[in-house]
Amino acid sequence: MKLLKLNLSGVRGIVGETLTPELIIDFSSAFGTMQPPGPILVGRDPRKSGPMVQEAVISALLSTGHEVINLGICPTPVIQFLVRHYRAAGAVSITAGHNPGEWNALTFINSEGTWLNEFQGSELLDIYHLGRFAHKKLKKSPPVMTELNPEEIYFSWLRRRIRTDEIGRARFKVVVDPCNGAGALMVNKLCEALGCQLIAINNEPSGYFPHDPEPRPRNAGEVASLVRATGADAGFLLNSDVSRVSLVTETGETLSEEYTFPTVASYWLKQHRGPVVTNLSTSRMIDGVAGKFNLPVIRTRVGQSAVIQTMLQEDAVLAGEGSGGLAAREFHPAFDGFVTIALVLEMMAVEQKKLSEIVRTLPRLHIVKDKILCPPHRLHTLVTETRKLYPMAPVNSLDGLLFDLKDVWVQVRASSTEPMIRIIAESPSELRARVEVEKVVAFLNRLL
Amino acid sequence: MKRRLPLKVSVSGVRGIVGESLTPQIAARFASAFGTYLGPGTFLIGQDTRPSGTMLKKAVLSGLLATGCQPVEVGVLPIPTILFLTREKQARGAVVVTASHNPPEWNGLKFIGPEGIYLRHSQVEEFLDIFHQGEFTLAPAERIKSPLQEKNAGELHLERILSKIKVKSIRRCRFRVVVDCANGAGAVLIPRLLQELGCETLLLNTDIGGEFAHQSEPVPENLGELCRRVKEFRADLGLAQDVDADRLALVDEKGRPLGEDLTLSLAVAHVLRKKRGPVAVNLSASMAIDDLAARYRVPVIRTKIGEINVVEAMLENGAVIGGEGNGGVIWPEVHPCRDSLAASGLILEMLAESRQPLSSLAAEFKRYYLIKEKLECPAEVAFRAVVELRRRYRAERLSTLDGLKISREDSWVHIRPSNTEPIIRLMAESRSAARSRRLIEKFKKEIKDTIKKFR
Repeated sequence: MKLLKLNLSGVRGIVGETLTPELIIDFSSAFGTMQPPGPILVGRDPRKSGPMVQEAVISALLSTGHEVINLGICPTPVIQFLVRHYRAAGAVSITAGHNPGEWNALTFINSEGTWLNEFQGSELLDIYHLGRFAHKKLKKSPPVMTELNPEEIYFSWLRRRIRTDEIGRARFKVVVDPCNGAGALMVNKLCEALGCQLIAINNEPSGYFPHDPEPRPRNAGEVASLVRATGADAGFLLNSDVSRVSLVTETGETLSEEYTFPTVASYWLKQHRGPVVTNLSTSRMIDGVAGKFNLPVIRTRVGQSAVIQTMLQEDAVLAGEGSGGLAAREFHPAFDGFVTIALVLEMMAVEQKKLSEIVRTLPRLHIVKDKILCPPHRLHTLVTETRKLYPMAPVNSLDGLLFDLKDVWVQVRASSTEPMIRIIAESPSELRARVEVEKVVAFLNRLL
Repeated sequence: MKRRLPLKVSVSGVRGIVGESLTPQIAARFASAFGTYLGPGTFLIGQDTRPSGTMLKKAVLSGLLATGCQPVEVGVLPIPTILFLTREKQARGAVVVTASHNPPEWNGLKFIGPEGIYLRHSQVEEFLDIFHQGEFTLAPAERIKSPLQEKNAGELHLERILSKIKVKSIRRCRFRVVVDCANGAGAVLIPRLLQELGCETLLLNTDIGGEFAHQSEPVPENLGELCRRVKEFRADLGLAQDVDADRLALVDEKGRPLGEDLTLSLAVAHVLRKKRGPVAVNLSASMAIDDLAARYRVPVIRTKIGEINVVEAMLENGAVIGGEGNGGVIWPEVHPCRDSLAASGLILEMLAESRQPLSSLAAEFKRYYLIKEKLECPAEVAFRAVVELRRRYRAERLSTLDGLKISREDSWVHIRPSNTEPIIRLMAESRSAARSRRLIEKFKKEIKDTIKKFR
């Protein structure tokens, strides 16, 4: 099967198969055509295919008359921050985030520094499909400027926003695994800014991923054993563009990426009162945390774009997803792994608690996830069929189908990045959740 | 006539108007086809000074990277330098972003093979097949390279030229030279060449920011400023390059433009005096070449129009010198390609060794009168008109290698439908201006009448 996925915030594919220079130029030309005049930032993660994609993107942006500020290897949240700093017309981030090395993707960022919203995304696709791009005659070529250390401005901003005195006083020792991604070497600057001692692994922006760049327990073994061996206070895993984080406690316990968001929320909501935004597939732990402060939780479709746009519309204070990405309104509207790490450390310093103690205060819920491959044209039909399994349960159909049973919820949805159906169930009892997931999987397999 | 989108795909690559017919998409497709055709390896990437060069270069880089190639950016360099470097550095090939002498809103891509010459006809066909089929050999992500940059790569070319000419005798003469680089790629190397040759130099239009001070073809009507400056500067000669620095025109010490066909005649005369051997030129080069060759008893090979045709004939026949009447001198001692830098070296050496001013060297060739004209005519009609004329002049000495050339005692006429524009090119040469003019007028009328018949 050829894998290419267009969605509202960009295009994702496998290099050498579907993500070709022409496709990249077409999409970037559509973006250049759509955006108002002005400079556009371009940055990438260190994947081997990055330079190939980057040359194509810059060519298309120049062709549509935009000045380009080339940030080189730069994490997506830093690019998002710099869009506002430079008052740019937008940005393109070249990264496939948590996908394996053979993937790459374009994420288009608007002049607000957020991923394209629904309307911008569908306009981009319309221009792409129509194939009429505003190529300029280039009597004068717009310049391409190369920014050598674009992250400096970002870190000096971050340092001012974080309670670095308290963090510094705590003399934390942390283990970080940036997975040789865009965060490599930059985590040194982060720890310098926060006054922590850093033990880093996979800290070379080389483009070789030692493991899938997805922050989750199965990739966290190395960090956990280092945390134990060095007596560190916490361990962090990053994805390749620093938009997601998973945590390892000082005891070496590898936490599911679902814990990152409620952990930070349990600290942040104490000082910042307002709604919290998350997607339908994220653990109900966040409801428990927000409930303690009597704050509402707003649920959206899955994806950074939907979650962040809702945070802005609803004036929420915090937004996040079970994948380990989160954004605090007071910082900037972007899933930002550096902000996440900084807030976890600030919480530990201010509350003078160990990470394992903080996590123990969170509601205990068990989330079980499974997926089955399915031909793309049957995805949504099959998802709809599962309604027959739960004829009496209340249903939320904002993103796939979510059945709210009394002691468990089950979500069945078509993936937006791969041809598969994801089945998620959560309950205080692990067995209960597992039973429901197995029930749905067996049902779908019969239909297939 | 229906307005066509001006994208020309021909033997010499692809050319189009930026933003209209030449888009980054097309550039990337051509580059991927080229990477697929020659296979992964090192490729040099050069550009001329046009403002759209960077945009197109980046599309080319992406297309080559996607097919697993290793591009090396050499920046703005004369096209002969890139041809030379391709062979010298044993690159798999090269792509140059240039539209030669076309107006500034144009740009294009030229493709160079591993021998350091443009793709041959058979190679172009294979390459275009891959382009049209659109199935490119894309490399998996882990085999994709990063572009490299090489600065001052042109030095190697200068060294080679200097090793082939008598530098000491030229230096002794302390020539005063005015150069018009036409805001082209020549500006990055010719000042160094002239400095090495001990010349006192005045440089015109060396700004390579992408603005052209005048039209880029080095024909007399574009060289007004150069002629004036030659007189003011009391120079021994004036040199005019085109934008990609493959062609050279001369201005004598009196400030008179010699006409670009004279560059070739002078170079042929100079080289044959030192080394006898076959000469290869295209059909429309001056008959002065034939007279020179006769004097040295060496054969002249006439080829179709197009640099690659001359180059192929030269390599096949072991020619010692050759080129085109448009100022393109090919001196294989340096490299078998049109090269304004090598040509400048040859002309300076000729001046130094002959101890005569350029005007008297040129005087010998003032006995030939070559006139060029063009007629608007759709391509299809043009071809039928040429066929008709061919039939009419069957009894005469004809060459049908490229259009129609009628050769007579002391004169010739060459009629050729252009393969890049809807025009017919018409050239005539004889030993008197009046006679050349009469020939042109006669054939112009005849072609017009023939065209009318077809409409």
